[in-house]
Amino acid sequence: MVSQHSGLTNVAQWGRLYVRNDEAGKALSPIEMVNPGYYILFKNVESCGCLSKGHLQNKLTEVKMDLNLSREHEMLRDMVKEFADNELAPRALELDNKGEFFWEQVKRSGQLGLMGVINSKEYGGTAMGHLARMILIEEISRVYPPLGFFHQTGNLLMYAIETFGSDEQKKKYLPALCKGEKVSALALTEATGGSDPANMQTEATLEGDDYVVNGRKSWISAVDPADFVGFVARTGDKFSAFIVEKGTPGFEVTRREETIGLRSLPVNEFALTNCRLPKENLIGEEGRGLASALTTIATIGRTGAAGVGLGIARGCYEIALKFAKERVLYGKPIAALQAIQFMLTDMNVEIEAAKWLCYSTAWQLDQGKTSRDLAVDIARCKLYAVDVANRCAYKAVDIMGAYGLSPEYRVIGLLRDALELGVAAGSQEVMKITIGATITR
Amino acid sequence: MSNSGEIWVIGEQRRGKLEEVSLELLSKGTALSQGVGVTLSSVLLGDEVEEVARELVFHGAEKVYLLEDARLRYYQSEAYTSLLAGVIKEHKPQIILIGATEIGKELAPKVAAKLGTGLTAHCIDLYVGEVDAAPHLIHVVPGWGGNLVMHIICPQKRPQVVTVKPGVLPKPVRDENKKGKIIRVKPDVRDQDFSRIETVGVVEEPPKGKALESADVVVCGGWGMNALGDFSKVQELADILGGAVAGTRPAMDKGWVDEARMIGQSGKTVSPGLFVSLGASGAMHYTTGFMGSKVVLAVDQNPQAPIFQMADIGVVGDLCEVLPCLIEELKKDRGG
Amino acid sequence: MELEILVCIKQVPHPDHFSEIRLDVSSGRIIREGVPAIINPLDRNALEEGLRVKEKFPGRVTVISMGPPQAQKALEEALAMGADRGILLCDMAFAGADTLATANTLFYAIRKLGKFDLIYCGNETMDSGTAQVGPQLAELLDIPQVSGVQEVTFGDEKILEVKRALEHGYMKVRVKLPALLCVTRDINRPRLPTVQSIMEVAQKEMIIWKAKDIGAPPESIGLKGSPTCAAGVYEHKTGRRREIMQGSIEEKVQRTVARLKELGAI
Repeated sequence: MVSQHSGLTNVAQWGRLYVRNDEAGKALSPIEMVNPGYYILFKNVESCGCLSKGHLQNKLTEVKMDLNLSREHEMLRDMVKEFADNELAPRALELDNKGEFFWEQVKRSGQLGLMGVINSKEYGGTAMGHLARMILIEEISRVYPPLGFFHQTGNLLMYAIETFGSDEQKKKYLPALCKGEKVSALALTEATGGSDPANMQTEATLEGDDYVVNGRKSWISAVDPADFVGFVARTGDKFSAFIVEKGTPGFEVTRREETIGLRSLPVNEFALTNCRLPKENLIGEEGRGLASALTTIATIGRTGAAGVGLGIARGCYEIALKFAKERVLYGKPIAALQAIQFMLTDMNVEIEAAKWLCYSTAWQLDQGKTSRDLAVDIARCKLYAVDVANRCAYKAVDIMGAYGLSPEYRVIGLLRDALELGVAAGSQEVMKITIGATITR
Repeated sequence: MSNSGEIWVIGEQRRGKLEEVSLELLSKGTALSQGVGVTLSSVLLGDEVEEVARELVFHGAEKVYLLEDARLRYYQSEAYTSLLAGVIKEHKPQIILIGATEIGKELAPKVAAKLGTGLTAHCIDLYVGEVDAAPHLIHVVPGWGGNLVMHIICPQKRPQVVTVKPGVLPKPVRDENKKGKIIRVKPDVRDQDFSRIETVGVVEEPPKGKALESADVVVCGGWGMNALGDFSKVQELADILGGAVAGTRPAMDKGWVDEARMIGQSGKTVSPGLFVSLGASGAMHYTTGFMGSKVVLAVDQNPQAPIFQMADIGVVGDLCEVLPCLIEELKKDRGG
Repeated sequence: MELEILVCIKQVPHPDHFSEIRLDVSSGRIIREGVPAIINPLDRNALEEGLRVKEKFPGRVTVISMGPPQAQKALEEALAMGADRGILLCDMAFAGADTLATANTLFYAIRKLGKFDLIYCGNETMDSGTAQVGPQLAELLDIPQVSGVQEVTFGDEKILEVKRALEHGYMKVRVKLPALLCVTRDINRPRLPTVQSIMEVAQKEMIIWKAKDIGAPPESIGLKGSPTCAAGVYEHKTGRRREIMQGSIEEKVQRTVARLKELGAI
């Protein structure tokens, strides 16, 4: 029966195909074969000539794809959702207008154990992992993207110290960062271009037991409020990563950029002028700094940006959907109009797709795969989630008409915030380069 | 249902003043007792409250069992429960009506549990009807989804106890010519009733703004008031109409009204001459809160909103336009 | 003093999904399966109060709930908030209970648990809203009870000073432990679980008891143990006029005022 259909070799690529015992011998139509919900159990393996035997067993094996989140992840989502709806949402517009760093919200985030989800318990973290982090960033960003984005940037140095730092560094910096009592930043970008880090000019020269650093970093999130700033500098013909603490002579925040979105998250330029840093401030080995920084940005920055994108997309979708169901024109809610339904449908489909790209990537990180193994997955989820966020925000503004342009209704603010995601943790084009180069190798 | 066994209304007095709900229950009690052909009695606990007992008679109680003692001046949880259970066991009424006040809501279940009998809370109506070809007291309570109500019965256990919220039933006419017997029952007040729990004080705080329960006009704002940003127009309309302000549960959650002004199944029930609903869609647990109003005016922007089924007059429109216009029109009408 | 604190909770339908609730016409009970659910909001206040007491004195907080299997999720949420162990009373024999039968079920379970000092309940549930189970349970346990609790102060020798809500004001009540308190939303602001407390849930005890585990006689629980029962669901006839005003906004308003005057409402 099976060998009659030439399309079968394609089917084998799906990995599992079974024929129910009572239906063995029944001819399969092409539709039945391509329908992914149709599982059939083969009575015995020999009767299917062209299917790869390695894919088949002669009894039904486990279908190993449980898409349910664990109980703990569900509880985490519920908790963050409540935190976001009750404590962040009422103040989102006000904080956005004020444009100042949201210390209170960061501390609260730390109190709830959200800041240190990728840090170990030994240093004050909660070690719940990358999927947990994706979920919490998503739920926060749905309502107040600046805090979600801050989880993206603020976690960078926390991960770098945890992964590459010394025990002393972990003990010194991590506990306060996990509690949200202190905040950090990680600086790679300079005037020479964030997408071209190998050409950076900031230099650190070893003098005795200290490094003397000169240079200038730009477009770095949250340097002004930061207590600790990690950065990468040239050491000879290689690169190294360092920590500089606020108040260190020679370290000065020189500028705050005006940004169109994420307005309460300062974006700064800072200068290092003959700044002396003891050897203890070197993160990891000398010469391995760029590699460490890029790993950090991939593992933490890109996944974080993806989470913010997911959150913004869903936030816009939920607001637009609620609006469409309540707004009455021509005697009925506009949700009854096809044009509106089509826009909402596009959003719905893209958000679902982005969600699974993001969650599966985060889950694989939790399984122990490295950012190197997952370079394409990570780039892909950031690329897609950010594009989806921008598209959904724009559609939401569209659906809501004049209300969509009014800050009070939030979607225009979410659109402005979405615009900032493109260049975060590597631009969208850098994501494409990462993927394109890898798949064509 | 039987033709022996009295119908009792538990009278509630505070500081020598009878709660309105006790009188409202007497009107229903009278109807039921006349229908079934049994005596309507009342029970009153307190200290020096004979005047109050007489009020019960003037409002329809044929008998009042009066239990007085200095220690019963204020509601005392254990003492009241065991004394009531005592007189009930002795006189075996078949039906007991209790007002669902803050105190009644605690006393009724304690008494019912002590007697191992059935209790139905927050009835919106009571009447004798047939269930499976037998007469039963039907306890009507709000149901779920849309316009539904549920009928509850207590087929075996006696007495059957029901509570009714203040403002649901009409008040009977006071008639000083009504005659009734006041039976003094010497309450067996024991020290042990006060050893584990004792009310040591009562503090009264007059309500801010016009009291909801006695207002002849109630203006209630719902979630739709979001469009105007706050409740100021609700207050303005209430002021012009000489009414009280209220809100739905979403309005309370938003902080526009206190819990004490929330209309609904788990909040207050009102029956004013005019109830105005602004921007509330009309879910059942809200509408049961004003079902007894004489005239209902509803304003909402959604023509499909269920509230229009529960209103006498409906205005479909944007609250931002309708409210100011309505306020202006009323000012013109009043001020000239 | 090491205190044994019990908190009774109920899982109720999520208010955003109230419109999905259907009544089972034969028993008059709400069909809960499939409708998203939450811990009854006031029960969270009750649990928060219990947790605060545990933090003040040494103590243990046990949460109990009578419900279908999905109610286990509510108990897990309670454990995530900080309760020490959870007990689910789940058995077909418990189904169809009115408040007295529910109180009886809880009574037998608590009797099996043994000694306790304090029981907290939410004043009423969001779905049935009778406020009856707490007082009835206290009566069965023969312990003092207060409803409408807004504030609790611990004195010495296990005596509490309780502030209890009245319509316009409050009552001050002195209560001796063991006691049962039914709390209002004024009493506190329930905490959110933290990531740490969520991860500790897996280490905590969750017990599931059936009727035979707690020794509850069949005639005291479930439908059999309910003195009240449902006798049908009916459409409520409102008798409202349902006149929708027509015309422009001005015209509608003018007609409204005129009609209200005709009806004697203003």
